[in-house]
Amino acid sequence: MSFRFKAGEGGGLTLAFVGPLVVYVIAFLVLPTLMLLAEAFSGKHGLTLKYVAALGQGQTVVAFRNSLVLSALAALVGVIAGGIAAYLVLRPGMPRGVRSLVTSFSAVAANFAGVPLAFAFIATLGSLGIITVWLKSVGVDLYGMGFSLYSLPGLVLVYAYFQIPLMIIVFTPALEALRREWREAAENLGASAFDYWRHVGLPILLPSLLSAFILLFGNAFSAYATPYALTSGIVALVPVEISNVLSGNVMISQQTGAALALGMIVVMVAVMGVYALAARRIGRWGRR
Amino acid sequence: MRGVLGRLLPEAWLGLLGLYFLVPLLATGAFSLWEGGSRYGFAAYVALFHQPKLWQSLFLSVRLAVETILLGLIVLVPAVFWLNLRVPRLRPVFDFISVLPFVVPPIALVAGMTALYTGPDWLVGTPNYLVIPYVILALPYTYRALDLGMRVLDLRTMTEASQSLGAGWGTLIFRVVVPNLTTALLGAALLTIAIVMGEFTFANILLFNTFAVYINYVGQTSATQASALTLLSFLITWLAMLGVLVSGRGGRSVQIGGAR
Amino acid sequence: MADLISSPRRTFLKLAGAGLGAGLLPAAGRAASPALVSAAKHEGQLNTIALPPDWANYGEIIATFQKKYGITIHNAAPDDSSAQELQSIRSLKHQSRGPDVVDVGPAFALNGAQEGLFRPYKVATWDSIPASMKDPNGLWYGDYFGLVSFGINRSVSKAVPHDWADLKKPEFKGMVALNGSPLGAGAAFAAVVAAALANGGSLDNIMPGIEFFADLAKRGNFNPSAATAASLVSGQTPVVINWDYLNLAQAKKAKGMTPIDTVIPEGATPYGAFYCQAISKFAPHPKAAELWQEFIYSDEGQLLYLKGFAHPARFSAMAKAGAIPKSLMAELPPAKPYGEAVFANDAQTKKAQQLLAANWTKLVKA
Repeated sequence: MSFRFKAGEGGGLTLAFVGPLVVYVIAFLVLPTLMLLAEAFSGKHGLTLKYVAALGQGQTVVAFRNSLVLSALAALVGVIAGGIAAYLVLRPGMPRGVRSLVTSFSAVAANFAGVPLAFAFIATLGSLGIITVWLKSVGVDLYGMGFSLYSLPGLVLVYAYFQIPLMIIVFTPALEALRREWREAAENLGASAFDYWRHVGLPILLPSLLSAFILLFGNAFSAYATPYALTSGIVALVPVEISNVLSGNVMISQQTGAALALGMIVVMVAVMGVYALAARRIGRWGRR
Repeated sequence: MRGVLGRLLPEAWLGLLGLYFLVPLLATGAFSLWEGGSRYGFAAYVALFHQPKLWQSLFLSVRLAVETILLGLIVLVPAVFWLNLRVPRLRPVFDFISVLPFVVPPIALVAGMTALYTGPDWLVGTPNYLVIPYVILALPYTYRALDLGMRVLDLRTMTEASQSLGAGWGTLIFRVVVPNLTTALLGAALLTIAIVMGEFTFANILLFNTFAVYINYVGQTSATQASALTLLSFLITWLAMLGVLVSGRGGRSVQIGGAR
Repeated sequence: MADLISSPRRTFLKLAGAGLGAGLLPAAGRAASPALVSAAKHEGQLNTIALPPDWANYGEIIATFQKKYGITIHNAAPDDSSAQELQSIRSLKHQSRGPDVVDVGPAFALNGAQEGLFRPYKVATWDSIPASMKDPNGLWYGDYFGLVSFGINRSVSKAVPHDWADLKKPEFKGMVALNGSPLGAGAAFAAVVAAALANGGSLDNIMPGIEFFADLAKRGNFNPSAATAASLVSGQTPVVINWDYLNLAQAKKAKGMTPIDTVIPEGATPYGAFYCQAISKFAPHPKAAELWQEFIYSDEGQLLYLKGFAHPARFSAMAKAGAIPKSLMAELPPAKPYGEAVFANDAQTKKAQQLLAANWTKLVKA
């Protein structure tokens, strides 16, 4: 990837348009992040690799694996369920009020996370929740059957509450780009709904779907208040571990927290790498 | 397959989704109305309304949200526009930057920012200081919303057409591109509002009384009030978003002609 | 800096007794000096953080201080963890909004002292604070302590557990919760240590405690959600292992809504922990901060802690001097466990954390 700044209009304009963002991000994001990462390597007597090396020990690896799996699943659920919901709401037949209602609700629900969300779900599907108790009274013992809100699948269920709305909000503009005429043209040519989606709809939407997936992945990856309130860290997750050592009440270790954050950045870079590869392969169609 | 089942399936799916979102809220609501034993009533809500701190913190958060949206859009719209128009090769850089806020723990970000920037006093000592990190926190969402909105536009044709008619960059952005970005802009604005209203760590450490900090405080003192407040804030934010949407749409139809 | 020495309560009772003659005066005497009071009033305000109103009766302590001296207290961030409190000091060190005083766990008191975040001060009643609960240079000093207890929502849980083994009974299925992760929440950490002490472990080896909770989880009794006041009162987590002063305060507050019992587990060495006061080195109102400490450590302040069911640091000294009203003593749980309680020192805490980090998420599966 190389980009040459042409003298004159090209380079100068790029600076004018992109400059403010770059300066802002460097000043308020990159520099503090570098300070944090420096901590990951600083020991009592200078540079050390011991905190980074500690990332390889038992439960930390489990935490990274759990975080990856949970985020991927939660992103997948969000993309699929949210994508379908967004499409259904945007169909020509839907009254416009429904769309405004759904969009506004999504905007709120997308950030309804943390303790209130956990409490709402515990009150509903927790071991003594309303639905759990009701189901037990009609003979269905949820927890007896192995369901648990306090597990990875349970977390995916709860995460969906803010993943699906996020997808709806972020993906709607891409859906709007699917012009009705294309669907009509496809149908006139004899394509069924399945054919339309397979050959026209999904290929057009794929870059946006991937992009949305990354957002949902990152969103789930960084969540710590919700899983902590829900499981007290029983399911090992990296953000919860970080929060324990950086803003907890039992121990404090800037270096361990920094090393964990470094690990998260590495994971994210890897995911972005895969995404970039995928995007490049499918993005040729329709990319200007 | 078309047919009765095919027709009902979308409605059934939406209905199921609706239930999934509604029931936990109802459970919270049921608890907020509980007054002990088997008595139910609105005592928690009444107690909430009488607290001046509720309104102060709410207005503060709303104000911060608006400021964050403005600053965020000023910084982002030109950059994303340029990215899609001229420098698509920079996309990996943008993408990486846009997910960086996800992997930096908020408390580390606070520590870094406050260590690096200790002035000027007129900014740092006031809640407006929060707007700066809030733009960063909202970055992943606003960037993606704007990017998804812009990448489906035919920016090249728009630019060439406008410039051949003598328009400058400003006119191009504000009067040609932005009107085609309504949905994306609204999405970015809505997401920013939601993020700012819910942000806790920065405000807490810097000792500012935002709405999220207040909600947390209520959670410490009264269980039922906390649930009542959760529902109230949900409703208030929802109505506010609805208002923004309805006024933003302004009766204009979604089907905009032209290159899309 | 001296390490905290692990000391059974009886030992520091003796230590306190030794310092008795020097440090104790009748309850009415030894108020803050008039010079300090007027200097503090001149400053006009005090910034406190992380003092929830229902925690150790801080609501009343703050109100009483304000009324008594006419100094406004700005209490921010009531839910701050100790780590966040220290960060607030760092982040706001050049601002007049910065915290003047903090109330942090012992590990953080040590950490903050090492980092140079505190300024030393010794209150008038310094000598009657047990030596194991204070820094010899006056950088931090324990204010109150509590024991691990069970809080039971009687309207949801018909049975009441009296010791650790009771928690394993099938009538508590899905009911027993901690207030967070033992790696991040002080009371949860203490719960694991206390369970270890009850099951053959020691302050140096808390593995039996981890195994206890692993077993509890296997039986389906362990509820992993982070218990809050809301979840205890609403009955979602009907049995909460938390500090005694928190459970007792919740019980008092929920009187009329739902009955809550507080039980100090029997048949095992009681385990507890204390919190520490410190004045920020960058305190914008240093005299007001000193006056606050004088108030907290006066008989009046310490009794206010006791009213919130938290045993004040000078408890033994005051008890010996008869400074504690009988009516107040009657409201508290029986005194015996408090005489036998043990605290872990810094080295033991670190060792326990390492064990937890390696084993908690591995073994405890809900």
